[in-house]
Amino acid sequence: MTFHTSKKAYYAAFIGPAVFIYACIIIFPVLYSLGLSFFNWNGYEKMEFVKLANYVRMFKDDVFLLGLRNNLLIVAVSIFGQLPLGFILAYILYRKMVKAQSFFESMIFLPITISAIVVAILWAQIFAPTGLYTTLIQRLTDNPRYIMAVAQDKQLAILPILFVVLWMYTGMYMVIFLASMQKISPSVIESAIIDGASEFQILMKIVAPSMSNILFTTAVFAIAGSLKSFDLIFAMTSGGPAHYTEVIAIYMYTNTFKYYNYGFGSAVSIVIVALSMGLITIAQKVYGFFEKKYE
Amino acid sequence: MTIHNERTTGWRVFAYIVMVFFTLLTIGPLFWLFYSSLKPHQDIIQNIFSFPKTLFFENYTEAWRLGKLGIYSMNSIIYTAIATGATTMLALMTGYGFAKFGYDKLTGFFYKFFILGMLITAHSVLVPLFLLEVKLNIDDTRIGVILPYIAFGLPFLIYLATSYIKGIPSALEEAALIDGANYGQIFRMVILPMAVPVTATMIIYNFLGNWNEFIFVFILTSKTALRSLPVGINAFAGGMSRNYGLQFAALVIGTIPMIVFYLFFHKQLKKGFSAGAVKE
Repeated sequence: MTFHTSKKAYYAAFIGPAVFIYACIIIFPVLYSLGLSFFNWNGYEKMEFVKLANYVRMFKDDVFLLGLRNNLLIVAVSIFGQLPLGFILAYILYRKMVKAQSFFESMIFLPITISAIVVAILWAQIFAPTGLYTTLIQRLTDNPRYIMAVAQDKQLAILPILFVVLWMYTGMYMVIFLASMQKISPSVIESAIIDGASEFQILMKIVAPSMSNILFTTAVFAIAGSLKSFDLIFAMTSGGPAHYTEVIAIYMYTNTFKYYNYGFGSAVSIVIVALSMGLITIAQKVYGFFEKKYE
Repeated sequence: MTIHNERTTGWRVFAYIVMVFFTLLTIGPLFWLFYSSLKPHQDIIQNIFSFPKTLFFENYTEAWRLGKLGIYSMNSIIYTAIATGATTMLALMTGYGFAKFGYDKLTGFFYKFFILGMLITAHSVLVPLFLLEVKLNIDDTRIGVILPYIAFGLPFLIYLATSYIKGIPSALEEAALIDGANYGQIFRMVILPMAVPVTATMIIYNFLGNWNEFIFVFILTSKTALRSLPVGINAFAGGMSRNYGLQFAALVIGTIPMIVFYLFFHKQLKKGFSAGAVKE
């Protein structure tokens, strides 16, 4: 064996196993899913080629459209809620405006470790008709007949879930932003302070501009993460009542594993992948646009 | 800095309000959950706020027994240990291959191939993966759960490993090559010892994800003997128990190991989360 073939053999041995597992478990199924999405199949009868019928049916289904709306709301809350809040929290810690920074940081980051299932059941209890939230409002407003009604409202039922999404993940963005701020050279800030820059100027002129790159990355995280939100909603409401809190991932689960429409379920999962890629492309375009403007 | 202090009082007041508010919002519900889990069902119904009159530990023994949480915990430990160990090892090997072997075109292709995987969610492969496992007769087996854990853990860990190993000076390897070491020996004796810091971050990040994973175990297994803690706890969500005391105890049982884990490793965990976004 010559030196070069042995090097190649080692290269193959080092990356081979990971490539193989990854290709079998992720790449092959995605392609398989794409193929399956053009068929009607319940798992044991003969497959029937139906062209785009699954996709057409999906976009005519009100339940799917409601799920799509809810998914997009979760994306919006992630981008316009988690990111700015995480940024504010990070900035406060970065500028050492409070004492015991590491205490606050650790507390706010804590929910990231707790299983989404636990978080879901906990908050479902808090928002239940006889739960903590309703009781708290009853006592505070002295109105024993108050009951939190948003869960029964088709338009608003998703609100508690949006809140829990914020509760769970804001700390993660705080940690990411803080790490990124700590990369700014301290001397830049110090000399700005000596030159008499106000806090607002430091924020807008030094810290914010150096965050533009990280803002794009976190937006991608937020988009990809939002479309993954299955566990939380599954354990909290299972999409109910009456599909009011449906999201696409739950819609896919129901159609595949309850109604055994494997072809249709595959079409839904392809839409999830496409949606994720599409939104990330949009984020890239928006970022590119502002990047150019800034220069 | 004293001159500065006066001008920033407003900021400080604002900062404390924000921080205290967020901390209470995080800790409050957990604190309520913990003390309520020590109240009998009747007391929770009667007064949802009150502290426990006596510490009612029966909730815990009952939840543990009824919910079969012993079996589920054991499975969680098995899945998490094997998947985390295997994913970390495979990612370090791949990271070494990507970082130090050249072959730019091939490496570039495979690297992108893995990075793309970060955007693919578990749900998009669920249907075909389930069908595939049925065909291969590995549905409802431990290996059928562990393989997807590994595959979905790989992209991010490979990203971490590759960027870290790139930073290890090549002079060390070259010296070892000249001394007659082969690439396997270099990996074991030069790369692995040098990569200890990133390995710690990788293990802790991956451990968290595997421990809390729900959907794969839920779909790919049906036997109690094979299911893990999140699935066991999910059973308390619906019809299984209208006993709030039991439900809360089960939630605490699911939370405690992670809070202990967090106390020890939150620094590495922060590193893991920020490493994906912030370039070192």
